[in-house]
Order: sequence, then structure tokens, then C-alpha cells
Amino acid sequence: MASNVTSYKNLTPANQLDKKVLNQMAWRSLFLQGSFNYQRMQAAGWLYSIIPGLKKIHTDKDDLATSMGHNLEFFNTHPFLVTFVMGIVLSLEQEKADIPMIRAVRVAAMGPLGGIGDAIFWFTLVPISAGISANLALNGSILGPFVFLAMFNVVHFGVRYWLMHWSYKMGTNAIEALTRNAKEFTRAASILGVLVVGALTSLYGGTSTVLEIPNGDSPIILQEVLDGIMPKLIPLGLTLLLYWLIKNKNWSAVKCIGLVLVLGLLGALVGFF
Amino acid sequence: MEFNFLQILLVVLVTFVAAIDQFNFLESFYRPIVIGPIVGAILGDLNTGLIIGGSYELMMIGSMPVGGAQPPNAVIGGIMATVFAISMKITDPQAALGISIPFALLGQYAVILTFTVMSPLMSKADAMAAEANTKGIEYLNYFAMGALGLLFAVVVFLGLIFGQAIGTTLTEVLPTWVWTGLGAAGGMMRFVGFAVLMKVMLSKDYWGFYFAGFALANITDSILGGASLLAIALIGIAIAIYDFQMNVKIKGLGLASKGGDSDGI
Repeated sequence: MASNVTSYKNLTPANQLDKKVLNQMAWRSLFLQGSFNYQRMQAAGWLYSIIPGLKKIHTDKDDLATSMGHNLEFFNTHPFLVTFVMGIVLSLEQEKADIPMIRAVRVAAMGPLGGIGDAIFWFTLVPISAGISANLALNGSILGPFVFLAMFNVVHFGVRYWLMHWSYKMGTNAIEALTRNAKEFTRAASILGVLVVGALTSLYGGTSTVLEIPNGDSPIILQEVLDGIMPKLIPLGLTLLLYWLIKNKNWSAVKCIGLVLVLGLLGALVGFF
Repeated sequence: MEFNFLQILLVVLVTFVAAIDQFNFLESFYRPIVIGPIVGAILGDLNTGLIIGGSYELMMIGSMPVGGAQPPNAVIGGIMATVFAISMKITDPQAALGISIPFALLGQYAVILTFTVMSPLMSKADAMAAEANTKGIEYLNYFAMGALGLLFAVVVFLGLIFGQAIGTTLTEVLPTWVWTGLGAAGGMMRFVGFAVLMKVMLSKDYWGFYFAGFALANITDSILGGASLLAIALIGIAIAIYDFQMNVKIKGLGLASKGGDSDGI
């Protein structure tokens, strides 16, 4: 991680990205989850998607490295709506906004899209298109799979490409007003971003224990005790522990992953998970 | 099983593509409604493929992969159910799906393995970023996709060659607690991602908002489920806009410039 750098070396705003680059990035965003992993989820795929834009914007090699570094931090959003975040972030990169501002906006924008995307795609579009086409297939019609692919992907690609262009335009239009009070805006965006990270700790934190302490006829179920204090206590505790190790003990991410692996395997062996 | 070389090759190839597609690209090609008929056509029984694919799809509509939870894998489930329905002449889709469950479980293990192994590799990605090595990031993304596709292809290939029994045998190679442990570790690795992000985002001013977000999520989760984040973000936006306006106003009054960065209030 390019650690403490908070602004780019070359602060001259770059030229507007043309339609070709925007389309190129929208295409690449199809592979957002290519290197999905448990630690940073879509981070590397996110960076992969926006590389064409970053290369155009950051002609200085150090700036490109800085930008790539902070764009590799934890990232997760709805895979079909990601171009919305891309457009806004790229408009900030193009303006050479401060890195804390770009980061805060990225985190604040990625969070809420998950629920919206699930509602549109998994709870509405898939049941409708799959329902129609599955019944076609069950009646022996070969049209089934084609109808499904067509219905689903017309919406999918329409939303993906439209959002890319729309949000980039919106970002570039809004940017001047935002950067006029850059410090205040960064602060406000950070508040929202941190609030989202706090919410993610609870909502993405599925870690719970199955441990039961024998107690005659009514064993004590540890998770119920913990939930009585506060739900999601284990995810919160682990996050704070890892934060402390990284911040105060200079642990690397790899070392933390090692710790988590050991915890997981040992925990499963003794019946904690 | 009596499939010829070309059939096996084609099914394995389709598996490779579908395995990648379940998280990338069309994210719809992998669905049983599509994959069932394709595998059926390759194996010379399109009609069975349509029936298995259609039935499995209807079953799945109720149980979508939402919020990162992994059900036993639908890609391999759909493929192997079709394969067994054709080779063993099973007409009941439920029965065909039942036989394919060990393979669906192996598919799930392959996903857990890939997502786990890719986690420490993110440090490699960091090193590439530090050198502005865009090619490296691109190769990393392709490599990870290829690895997942390959794992899936191997599982289906073994199923096609050795039949149904190999699925159960393979799921028993490692004791279940290892998979439970890896799954639990996988669920905890995101906390490392959060912690790194918090290290760069959280100055002293913001800690309260971190806990507020956490508490709000605890409250809304049981009511709103997946929609929680949007509701929380709306509250956050209200706070952020208020904070922004107040600070701009203070700056306009010229108080902040005199106070400077020493923050003497």
C-alpha cells in the first residue's frame, strides 16, 4: 500500500475521458469478480476494470502507482451496478482530488448498491425471466434458454453501460462545486464512508459460534448469550482486534490472514464454529 | 459411463466457461436453465436437458445467492444432474439432483479454496500496484478466473470418467471440520479487509460514526435485511450534508482560518 500519500504529484486536471475509454471500462467491469477473495472481495477486479481510465488520467508513473494502490483497498458492491461507482470515482481521479476524498466517496457509494442490485436483479428480473423460460423448457421448447439469456442480458448490459456514462457525467458536473470546499467535503464524505464501514462490519459479519456449554438439561448456547449483550459481537471484536494488530503492532495483511486461518481451523476442530 | 471423447471434452469446456460465468461476464450463462439444455444437447438428449434445467431453475428461484452466502454449487449441480439423468435414465429431476449433490459440494469447496488462496495473493497485487504494473493486475485477474474454471472442469471430468461414486469419495478426502474451518476463516478474512481500510480512513474524529453505523446495522438488519445499507446510507447522507454545510458556514465566517490546524477551540 502506498501508505501515507494523500494527494497526487501532478494536480493538473486530466482531459475528459472519451466514450471509447468509458465503454472499455464498462466491458472490463464484467470481470469485476475475476479475482474475488475473502479478504478484499472485488478489490483487484475493481482495479482491473478502471485501469484504462487510470492510465489515461495519470501520466506520471508515481501517481499511477499511488492511484492503483488506494484502489486496491477493500471493495465490494453489486456486480451489475459497479459502473455507477466507477463513473464517480473516475471523475474524481480525473480532477486529481485528494485521495482521502476519493476513498471516502468510493466506500460511501459502493455500500448501498448491494441491496438495490439484489432487489432489481435477483428478486425481480431473475424470477420473471427464469420463471417464463423454465416453463418453456419444461414443455420441451428449446426457446427456453434463449428467452432467458436475452431477457436477462438486455437489462443487464443496458443498466451497466448506461450507468457508466451517466454517473461519469454527473460526477464531472458536480465536481467543481465539491472541490471548492474540498476539505469540508472530504470530511463529510469520510463520515458517510466510516458509517458504511461500521454497518458493513455488522451486515457482512456472519461469524458466529455453535458452542454449547453443558449445563444439565439446559445447555448454555454461547451465541445466545453474546447476542444478549449485542448482536454481531464476534465480527466487531475480530475487526477491532485486527485493526489494533495492524495499526499498533504493524502486522501485515498476510500475517492477519494467517491468524484468521489458524483461528478458523482450530475453532472448527474444538467445535467453536 | 459410455460417453465418447468429444462429448467429454465439450462438457468439460462448457463447465470451464460456466464456472467463470457464475461470478463474471453474463452471470446468467451458468444458470441451470441454460446449462442443462447445452449439456443435454452435447450428450445427445436435449429433451432431458431441458427438463432437468427447467426444474432445477424453478427450484433455484427461491434460493438466490444473496449477500455472499454460498449454496452447494449450482453450476456443477446443474451439469452433473443432467449427466446422470441421461446416463442412468432417471426421469425424476429431484432424483437426478439428489445424486449430483456430492459434486455440488465439491464445487462449493473449489470456490472456498479459490477465494481463500486469492486472499494472501492480494499482497502480490499491492506490490504490483506500487510499481504501477498494470499488466500484472490484469494477469492476476485472468489467472484467478482460469484457476476457478480449471478446478470445476477437473471435478466434472472426474465425474464423467469415474461416475457417481467418485463424488462421495472425493468429498471425504478431507474431514468435514477442515472445510468448516476454512469456511469460517473465509468468513473472517473480510475483517482483515475492513481493518486495513479503517487504518487509512479512521482518524480520531470518526470513531463515533463507525460504532453508530454498526449499531444502526444491528437494528435494521432484522427488519430490512439486504436493504439495510441503503437506509443507513440515507441517514449518513443527512449527517454528512449537515456537517458539510456547518463547516462551510464556519469557514465563511472566517473562524476556521484563524483557528488554523491547531484546532484550539
